[in-house]
Amino acid sequence: MSYQAANPLADEFEFELGGAWTAYWLAFLRVVTGWWFFHAGVTKLIEDGLAYTYGPTYLKQMTGTALGPIPVLMGEHLGWLIQAMVPLGETLIGLGLMVGALVRLASVFGVFFMALFWIGNAGFGHGLVNSDFMGLLLFMTMIVLGTGRYYGLDAIIEKTKLVKRHPKLRYLLG
Amino acid sequence: MQQHTTVIDKAAMALSGGLMLLGVVVLGIVEILAGKPYGAAPLTNDAGEIIATPMVDPTLRTGLVLAGLLVLALYGVYRLVAPMKGETAAAQQEITAD
Repeated sequence: MSYQAANPLADEFEFELGGAWTAYWLAFLRVVTGWWFFHAGVTKLIEDGLAYTYGPTYLKQMTGTALGPIPVLMGEHLGWLIQAMVPLGETLIGLGLMVGALVRLASVFGVFFMALFWIGNAGFGHGLVNSDFMGLLLFMTMIVLGTGRYYGLDAIIEKTKLVKRHPKLRYLLG
Repeated sequence: MQQHTTVIDKAAMALSGGLMLLGVVVLGIVEILAGKPYGAAPLTNDAGEIIATPMVDPTLRTGLVLAGLLVLALYGVYRLVAPMKGETAAAQQEITAD
């Protein structure tokens, strides 16, 4: 039994943020989350290119949600952008997570996407916590733990002179 | 390693966590106690007619969660804009070294 309040697993099963198991699991989780989005995006690119017309249609039907008129207005006035940014955004977010580059920035956009899917799909038959919400939480976890530092390119990028000169870039990397 | 948290850090954690847990867990318990439907979507019969609606509007619950996420987003922007601890220390060093 561990008596360390900060790390209750310290005795039986070492799970420190710099530990081998942490690195293994966070890197695995990051790559799988990235693949999930990359697959969703790249298949849309293959099928529809940058003209994913279902994107604006999906947003236009999001009436009476907690997001108010925002999704409908986006669908009506930014249709051309949505058509391109849904497949491109999903692909780039996925790619960023898989290689571990700009993971925090990519995950912020991932949270944005998942918030729209969570509200838009509204699959609340078994409560608010559904697979869309868990996906949203996965991206939040990427941001909080800076998972790009575990076997990801961000670990290398953060050692460059540019990042050392501008340490705030680590809020977008990591 | 001991991490130091400021009042703003603690406020962001408390407010965002509080809003999200209120929307998901607390009002989820209320929904269960209120009877069917236990989820946050209307209950329908085989004909597709709505026979029971959630007591708490899911728009309110999802809105609370979104508000929590917004607090975290604003906190992230604050961290990007505010000077880093190292930066202020370095700036102070420059002044005192003169």
